[in-house]
Amino acid sequence: MLETMIFILFAAVAVIAGLAILLSTNIVRMAYWLIAMLVSVAGLYFLMGAYFLGVIQILVYVGGVAVLLVFGVMLTSRQLAPKLRPGPGEVVWLLCVAAVLLTGLILSVLHSRWEPSTVVAANSVSDIGRSLLGDFLGPFELASVLLLVALLGAAYLARPKTPVQTVQKKGTTAL
Amino acid sequence: MMGLTPYLILSAILLVLGIAIIISKRNAIAILIGVEFILNAAALNLVAFSRHGIGALSGQTAALFVIVLAAAEAVVALAIFLNFYHTIATVDIDQGDQLKG
Repeated sequence: MLETMIFILFAAVAVIAGLAILLSTNIVRMAYWLIAMLVSVAGLYFLMGAYFLGVIQILVYVGGVAVLLVFGVMLTSRQLAPKLRPGPGEVVWLLCVAAVLLTGLILSVLHSRWEPSTVVAANSVSDIGRSLLGDFLGPFELASVLLLVALLGAAYLARPKTPVQTVQKKGTTAL
Repeated sequence: MMGLTPYLILSAILLVLGIAIIISKRNAIAILIGVEFILNAAALNLVAFSRHGIGALSGQTAALFVIVLAAAEAVVALAIFLNFYHTIATVDIDQGDQLKG
């Protein structure tokens, strides 16, 4: 009973955050609602007993990705406010796609019968570590290479294209 | 104890919300937020199956990889958006039509 109530609380926060992002026109508020959604998904992880994953979700997503998005907003948005609202034709298409997809997904979920597992999975951090270095060793190494590539690629892409003007020259001409 | 179905329905709702955000927004960063919604829906699905479906740890490990991929994707996408912004002074993706033939 308590589990159901906690699930409804977190699920409501996540869905409300999504709707708020959909209806909002302010990019900073969208980033705030994204953080609310990420925290509530982390709460659902805790509810399912995946404690390590919940902590990682808060650390990496809320502490890393969301802050990165806010920095992106700060660096790019100046005159975006009037352009954020979609036109009426787009809204019709959006509602059609969303309704069809949501109906199909929920019907397929409700009509499939998954037998609930009686086996409770081993769930400690050391088990996750063994799984990472055992069954998932190949993806683990690939992920490390991917992170290195993303680091170098982002640094290369975001570098300043034109050489930075030196302030000293301006100072000497002013003198 | 709750079963698998509520988690799957919530995951479907989050996925549809993410797709709707991607369709409706023109700001590139808002589209990135929609992608984060979709990735979170997928990870929630994986963890729910791991907990209530198969009863093994593989789903949690796979969700860990989803988080790693999302972080790398967000970094590279933001670098591309910064380049985009330096080139045409906006992040409105409708303005990025210079590759049109």
